[in-house]
Amino acid sequence: MEHTWDFSSILASRDLLLVGLGNTIRLGVLCLVVGLTAGLFVGAARYSRNRLINWPATAFIEVFRNTPALVQIMWFFFAFPIISPFQIDAFTAATLGLSLNTTAFCAEVYRGGIQSIHKGQWEAAKAIGMSYSQQMRRIILPQAIARMIPAFMNRAVELMKMTSLASVIAFGELMHQAKAISTYNFNPIETYTVVALIFFIMIYPMAMVVQRVELHLRRSDQ
Amino acid sequence: MTEVLRIENLHKSFGANHVLKGIDLVVEKGQAVVLIGASGSGKSTLLRCVNFLETPSDGRVWLDGTLVGHQSNGAMDYRESDLIPIRSHVGMVFQHFNLFPHMTARQNVMEGPRTVLRLSKAECIERGEKYLRKVGLAEKMDAYPSHLSGGQQQRVAIARALAMEPRLMLFDEATSALDPELVGEVLQTMKDLADEGMTMLIVTHELGFAYSVSDKILFLHQGLIHEQGTPDEILVRPSQTRTREFLRGHATFRLPDAEF
Repeated sequence: MEHTWDFSSILASRDLLLVGLGNTIRLGVLCLVVGLTAGLFVGAARYSRNRLINWPATAFIEVFRNTPALVQIMWFFFAFPIISPFQIDAFTAATLGLSLNTTAFCAEVYRGGIQSIHKGQWEAAKAIGMSYSQQMRRIILPQAIARMIPAFMNRAVELMKMTSLASVIAFGELMHQAKAISTYNFNPIETYTVVALIFFIMIYPMAMVVQRVELHLRRSDQ
Repeated sequence: MTEVLRIENLHKSFGANHVLKGIDLVVEKGQAVVLIGASGSGKSTLLRCVNFLETPSDGRVWLDGTLVGHQSNGAMDYRESDLIPIRSHVGMVFQHFNLFPHMTARQNVMEGPRTVLRLSKAECIERGEKYLRKVGLAEKMDAYPSHLSGGQQQRVAIARALAMEPRLMLFDEATSALDPELVGEVLQTMKDLADEGMTMLIVTHELGFAYSVSDKILFLHQGLIHEQGTPDEILVRPSQTRTREFLRGHATFRLPDAEF
């Protein structure tokens, strides 16, 4: 099949794409910040020996890790407003879905990172008279966070890609804007090619940084 | 003589596993006391009960004449806030060194004085250097643990414990994880400490070392002190069958008295 590539209509709608790019970044960054912060607390809760704290955290993590992000976004947009008194727009629903999903993921990374530190480190810190919070702050976290960084960076990359799921509830991120442009101009080939390129240019450098950091950490772990 | 450590009727169980079944022990100032016994006899658990890395199931522990913990209804109650000062006065050296890998040798040694004792930066640096020099590692102050040999790492660990200027040092099989050629330097460091009058409680399998440094040797068997006495009484003329069997197992191969 013949196709004459023509990017002029894309150029004409570049403002729409820029708005989409802005929204993609806004959604991704917000969800990452929320996920990293809330994940620390949920992870700590799961680490707790108190059942009343531990059990809800575990349930939360399992539910969000074992259902698709797309379902979570749809649920927050279509189901949540019906059973709750809140009016929810597309941005809020997408943010809730993706940030809670990321929270569950980060909680497991925090917990796994801390548990990966050998028991002897806790004991050595305890044996010189450190309190629990000193052991955590001075000895455990500095080592654990170094091990968590690659996982968090990978998550950031995944999250940027996952933002495109918000297009299904008509949140104006890149993918949704592309759909609008291509329907309007009948140019899906050019539009989705450009969107793919934008995503690639945005994500590839991140992925490269992750690779470098992983390599560096693997070396210095030795 | 002043007592640094007194233990009476110490018991420790892990679930149904009754590891220590009533230990009585006194360590006086300047003494080096060695615990020997087969693996599983409870020597490491005993050591770990002294600085409360394990909480005793029953019995009493006194450090410098002061009973550790609170008595409530005849049983002992140990709060973390009571145990922290105890641990900062009792140094411990572990079988697997457990140095902090994200810190240099100097930072490892400074960590206790800095975080626990809250000394000034200058004092911490001074202590760090003083104790690393003492264990013969003046040249390795800025090295990370991963760049040190096992013997050097263990000596840093000894310096880290000494930097707290403890009243009692515990050694939990400090040379068991080392390659044979590195054992000597660590034992020598420990011997120097004993010669300087450091009060020490040592778990070791190095019987020659035990013989030359200790004031008293205790043979543990199945959670009890089976026999105790001077190095000569325990290692040369043991009176108990179990002790003799244990020693025979350790001395199956012996070099003839050679002249070096």
